[in-house]
Amino acid sequence: MKRKTLLLSFLTISFAGRSISLAKPLSYVGGTMVMQENDETGHTISLDYTFTPTEAFGLYVKQEENGKEILMITPELNTLLKRWNLPDGQGNIFNMSGAGVAHYRGNTQPALWTAFLADYESRRFFLSYEPRFVYDGNIEKSFWQRARVGIAPYLANYNDLNTWIMFQVDHHPAKHDHVVATPLIRFFYKTYLLEVGYSSNQHIMVNWTVQF
Amino acid sequence: MRYYITIVINLVLSAVASADTIHAKVNGMVCGFCATGIEKTFKAQPQVKTVNVDLEMKLVTVAMKDGQTIDDARLKKLIGNAGYSVVSIERSK
Repeated sequence: MKRKTLLLSFLTISFAGRSISLAKPLSYVGGTMVMQENDETGHTISLDYTFTPTEAFGLYVKQEENGKEILMITPELNTLLKRWNLPDGQGNIFNMSGAGVAHYRGNTQPALWTAFLADYESRRFFLSYEPRFVYDGNIEKSFWQRARVGIAPYLANYNDLNTWIMFQVDHHPAKHDHVVATPLIRFFYKTYLLEVGYSSNQHIMVNWTVQF
Repeated sequence: MRYYITIVINLVLSAVASADTIHAKVNGMVCGFCATGIEKTFKAQPQVKTVNVDLEMKLVTVAMKDGQTIDDARLKKLIGNAGYSVVSIERSK
């Protein structure tokens, strides 16, 4: 399983798991964002187009691992519920929701999910918390939550390589490892973001985001 | 202090170019994605010659093409659409 995860991660040919905390689920009006995550929960990919200052629409695909290997495909709507633009930072509350289908061992069911993301970010510090609720018909009903803290060892400007040292904790009651801690490093250059980490249950995390 | 030095430099440069230059102090800009959103938003405006985002100074500098301008309301809307808040606007020739 680990070898499979590694291979899929590095080749990025798999379906990915959107880490909503990977980047904000909205960009600027007219902007498009591709996010991919490969971690101990599985693989997700999402493609989002921001069509108003507070809304983005896209497609979300997740292949779960480390439990039931459920494939979920849903359109998604990401909504900025509240933003605080501060002199030295930014706080946000987002909702992300999707409705589509889930497939597991020949069984296809309607799928619904919704998640909230609260974050605060300055050029030095990062904090986020995300609870997520998933309904996959008679396949699975689950809840998971994620928290992250991060610090930038140096303050980078727009044209510099940004580096963040982060620590993520996932609580996923439906998975074999209920609580998983992942230290990670984030690199950020203009519209390209890459995260690499290694979880307490010995999975490599590779996430990336491109905005265009 | 660096904010004012940046303003002065931009004023001098814009005077040489003899075109409108807008300096907007903006809250909420913390990362490259923020800067890209603002940059792409302004580059899509036909009146705009160049745009520069300085995260450290929290400053967006927009140089206009000769004889062109963007009024304050429009400027605030464009930056608002990118997700950020304008605190103050200064203009120079």
